[in-house]
Amino acid sequence: MTATSQSLVDSLKEYVIKSYTMKPNRVVIEVEASKVREVFVKLAEVLGKESFYLSTIEGTDFPEKKLIRIDYFINLFKLDTNLVLRAYLPRENPIIPSVIDLVPGALAGELETHDLLGIIFEGNTYLRRSFFVPEDISSKGIYPLRKDSGV
Amino acid sequence: MRPALLKEIIKGIFTKPATIQYPKEQTLIEPDFRGRQYADLKKCIGCSLCAIECPANAITMVKIPDEYVVPKTNARRIYPVINYFKCVFCYRCVTVCPTSAYLVTNEYRLASSAPIDSSQLSLSTTTKAGGA
Amino acid sequence: MFELVEATHLIEIPLTVEIPVGPQHPALHEPLLLKLHADGERVIKVDVITGYNHRGIEKFAEKNTFYRDIFIVGRVCGICNAVHANCYVRALEYILDVDPPPRAKYLRVLAMELERIHSHMLILAVNAELAGYETLFMYLMKDREYVMKAKEILTGQRVLADYMMVGGVRRDVDEVKKSRILDIVQRVEGRVRYYHSVFREDATINKRLRDTGRIKQVDALANSLVGPVVRGSGVKTDARAHDKYDAYNEIPFNVITEDYGDSYARAMVRFGELYESINMVKYILTHLPQGNPVPDERKLPRRFPEGESYATVEAPRGELTYYVSSSGSDKPYRVKIRTPSLNNIVNSTFAYVDQMIADVPIILGSFDPCISCMERAVITDLRRGVKYQIPLKVLGGVKK
Repeated sequence: MTATSQSLVDSLKEYVIKSYTMKPNRVVIEVEASKVREVFVKLAEVLGKESFYLSTIEGTDFPEKKLIRIDYFINLFKLDTNLVLRAYLPRENPIIPSVIDLVPGALAGELETHDLLGIIFEGNTYLRRSFFVPEDISSKGIYPLRKDSGV
Repeated sequence: MRPALLKEIIKGIFTKPATIQYPKEQTLIEPDFRGRQYADLKKCIGCSLCAIECPANAITMVKIPDEYVVPKTNARRIYPVINYFKCVFCYRCVTVCPTSAYLVTNEYRLASSAPIDSSQLSLSTTTKAGGA
Repeated sequence: MFELVEATHLIEIPLTVEIPVGPQHPALHEPLLLKLHADGERVIKVDVITGYNHRGIEKFAEKNTFYRDIFIVGRVCGICNAVHANCYVRALEYILDVDPPPRAKYLRVLAMELERIHSHMLILAVNAELAGYETLFMYLMKDREYVMKAKEILTGQRVLADYMMVGGVRRDVDEVKKSRILDIVQRVEGRVRYYHSVFREDATINKRLRDTGRIKQVDALANSLVGPVVRGSGVKTDARAHDKYDAYNEIPFNVITEDYGDSYARAMVRFGELYESINMVKYILTHLPQGNPVPDERKLPRRFPEGESYATVEAPRGELTYYVSSSGSDKPYRVKIRTPSLNNIVNSTFAYVDQMIADVPIILGSFDPCISCMERAVITDLRRGVKYQIPLKVLGGVKK
């Protein structure tokens, strides 16, 4: 890891469970699901609101480990690095607090992940099914991107 | 402010239109445009790699009729037939063939109402037994 | 008997009329439903409803091998197909730890910059058409045809250039082709300068594009907007300058920004990027390194090692990101595509507020919507140019 990313990991030290690198050179920090909002507040304090934006929200299903993993990719463009926040949620009850009041740009990512994987973001009033998925699949309550959905 | 395109428009009244009147004059096309491709049966060994790798599932392996002569390396006597209605002309079959057995052309005028495939073209690269 | 009493007060309750723009609308090129809540002529709130073009590509990509996915992913979007294929191929190269030869890197940048030139010309023509100036639209499209010819000389097809492969590109260029592409680009540069002067001086475009859809810098960042939209509001961010992938660390270029943040500023950012792309193409064609850029596709590995990677690329519309995760077999475990239009269209409903209804297509056109990129699952819908009668006749009966 470069010097800037190491200092970034150090300043977020109290939330980090594990940290490693994703290819090519992105810093990954594993945090607990309930602490994601506090990490965003801390980033805004340390770096200032004008130097980063939330790029992507992505979810992956692991049926054999019974977990769903959610990643927040943050682009810190003033420092030329990308930061990844990774949290694991239990598969039967995937609830995570929403960050939409801190970062309104999370709307598109949260809507898409809810529609395709079934993660519930607490506090987001815009969530609805059939944002992307056609009506005949969403009416059956199937989340297409789960591995056992049969689509 | 005067409309800035006025000079161009006035010039354009006196010049030839840019449209190519298609059926009467042909469009100019590059010689290595990705057009219709087919297998050369003198080199094909029937390994089916092109059928496995096609992203559009447009290639099926079909048995060669008995009267055609093929090299001994094609032990199973099968050859690939491309369904041009499904083909996207990405040329993955051309680049992945181990014996470089595909012939490429730049033929792009492939619209037709009946289904077209490459069986006639491929079979025409080999001869019938007994000479014909 | 009735008694006639003189009315002393007239109570008016203003109506907000809900007006659908789309899914089939002559101003949009792809289906999208914007429900406008309008009071008189001013827009108060906008709801974005999508899903008409969803094709299920992320799920589909898990059922096919890695190499078939290169061609499938190139067909997510027609205009930005070279950058989608490039991002996916680079994500695969990061997993495999393979570095392509320098000549291949330069040729990849050449294909992507040619694509940026024709995509920007297209959206500027569409902006002019939405402003009502169809003559300018036709002239821009005529000059765009030369760029399509250049793409055909380089890659083999005009629109869908299946040009990228793990380890390099799929065909090479020789001296004759290089000189032909250079001639075309020099001719196009003269025309682009002329159109830039038209955009600056013309009365129609200035009156319709200035001061519509103004976005401040703080709003643009908080809402995760990307691409020329956020560069038109003063933020200097560009994935080519930050990530420096392929050959961008050796080719000199500038990141163009404007400060005002309205549709006119976004069009000016696109013109600036056109000049930069033309200069980059000229630099590449004169400084191409030697070597063999074509990998042998028969020797590429079939099974990929375990790992994951995250690649970003600067598409003509913004920042496009791919996340690929492999679990050791010959099919990927997860492919995540986040296209720039997803962030730009869904998160930008605040830009329409307090604008006139007639400005809505102009603002949407200046965001550069690519709805097929945005939703990736298939529905067939028949697009006919049905003209929508906006029911303002209802308002006409209310006395003021």
